[in-house]
Amino acid sequence: MPASVFVQLLIAGILQGGVYALAAFGLSLIFGVSNVLNLAHGQFLMLGALAVFFIFSFTELNPFLISILIIPLFFLAGSLFERGLIRRLMSRLPHEQVEASILVTLGAALAIQDITSFLWGSEDKGISYFLPTIHVGDIYVSSVRLLGLVFIILLTVALHFYLKKTYLGKSIRAVTQNRKGASLVGINASRVSTITFGIGTALAALAGVFYVILYTVSPEIGIPLTIKYLCVIVLGGLGSLYGTLVGGTILGLTEVFTSYFSPHWGGTSAYLLLVVVLLIRPKGLFG
Amino acid sequence: MQFFPLRAKILILLAIIATVPLYAGSYSLTFMIILLMYTTLAESYDIVGGYLGYMNMGHASFFGVGAYSFGLLLNSGMALPLSFLFTALIVAAFALLISYPFFRLKGAYFALATFGLIKLLELLAFNLKGLTGGSEGLTVSSGYRVIPVYYMSLILCAATIYTVYRISRSRLGLALISIREDEEVARAFGVNTYRYKAIALIISSIFAGLAGGIFIWNIIFINPTGVFGLEIALVPIAMALLGGSGTVIGPVVGAIFITLVEEFLWTEVPYLHLAVYGMVIAFVGLYMRGGLVRTKAARSLLNRLGWVEE
Repeated sequence: MPASVFVQLLIAGILQGGVYALAAFGLSLIFGVSNVLNLAHGQFLMLGALAVFFIFSFTELNPFLISILIIPLFFLAGSLFERGLIRRLMSRLPHEQVEASILVTLGAALAIQDITSFLWGSEDKGISYFLPTIHVGDIYVSSVRLLGLVFIILLTVALHFYLKKTYLGKSIRAVTQNRKGASLVGINASRVSTITFGIGTALAALAGVFYVILYTVSPEIGIPLTIKYLCVIVLGGLGSLYGTLVGGTILGLTEVFTSYFSPHWGGTSAYLLLVVVLLIRPKGLFG
Repeated sequence: MQFFPLRAKILILLAIIATVPLYAGSYSLTFMIILLMYTTLAESYDIVGGYLGYMNMGHASFFGVGAYSFGLLLNSGMALPLSFLFTALIVAAFALLISYPFFRLKGAYFALATFGLIKLLELLAFNLKGLTGGSEGLTVSSGYRVIPVYYMSLILCAATIYTVYRISRSRLGLALISIREDEEVARAFGVNTYRYKAIALIISSIFAGLAGGIFIWNIIFINPTGVFGLEIALVPIAMALLGGSGTVIGPVVGAIFITLVEEFLWTEVPYLHLAVYGMVIAFVGLYMRGGLVRTKAARSLLNRLGWVEE
């Protein structure tokens, strides 16, 4: 493999992994705080992508700028989702809670998917947004991808400081570690749950922005993507927020490099990786 | 009501179901075959998912492995009964093989790893073209088989329910429930947890594998998405949870309920049937704690019929 191809694949892999990590990070936050496997997570990604698509087709603004509008919108959507559907499951026993949350979020996911394709049609949608290609020597990089990469890195840094430095960020980490303990020292755990759902959903919608720019989006992509993100958070270790980032990046790199040699095996490698990692480390890389 | 013992009622019910082909058209017969298949899958899922308490999201992997092995065996010229026998053996061996590594995982890790397994198998089936035919799928010789398929499905379904009933009233069932409640304590009291978990997985895999065999024999053609796809993976689990996981009758009730709702929506509601379907599932999750059969009305109805759960 020539060095220039290697560098290009590396960048593509990190970007791919970054998009995975972004959405999976939201899912991981939600799971950590409320112990709910949110099967509707990918639907919010899809909705975020569609929202950007429609705003873009009217205004032709830079999609990355539009994504800043998306954040409060989906924060609200996620909080309402938690208030309406998840809140009442919190009082149940742990195993009942997991079962009920699967029924509720799966049902919601199916409903969202069907209503979306009813209202907006089920065909693939994508934004053709081009910026000039940058090339250094033999290495060609699309500047849209580079911009995406910068955007993801900035978001990660911002999230890191949010979780480490602010009161709410610290409460999120506290509730993730021990819900009862956190409540005992005066953290309003149910409010933290609502906010976390908001943040997680906004992150999913942001990942949707990359999907609609780099690939195409249709209402059916939600559930398969959710499963992939669940793989990512298990790979990194459930409840380990930074494990999710590492897991996503590893997955992205593996997929891109495998696809270079054999396109068919690219998708398989993700699940193979998941199963192999779990067999060696039953609690994920950082669990 | 006690005049008729429960056993007699069940026999009468079985007799009624067995005579369906005499008066039903091929449409209702096909509907019944689908219902029986989903009941078998939901009930066999519940051995591991409900009694053992390990949420096996990859239950459909046994269905798919069964369907592919049966198709390949039949195409290699093996007789029908032998094909079913070997399908059961292959699926059981597969379950034994995955039981050790996967049962090291717990809780959500187990659920998601088994889901990863099913996606892995789907992609393997797509990519190993020499064995499975890849995306072109696998075809077996055709013929009119609705009647034999109906009876085979009925026998398999009845056998699954009976097996779960027997398990729930046996030492094995006690061991499984003790593992579900607290695995460490169970081990400390001398329950060989690994052995019981493997046994439960193997039993549940055989029924799902045979259901897969009947499935391909009935519809003649399968492709990877058909047997490892999302629908076949999630719907039986939703049925078991919705009806009441960890009870004998729960998955059956859930399977009947979801299949009927689906049938009604697909034929009567022109738009948004998937959305309504999703809302029904979410509604049960929100308001019926522990599934349909654990609601007060269902409990008293079952008691009047003489069926005692738990």
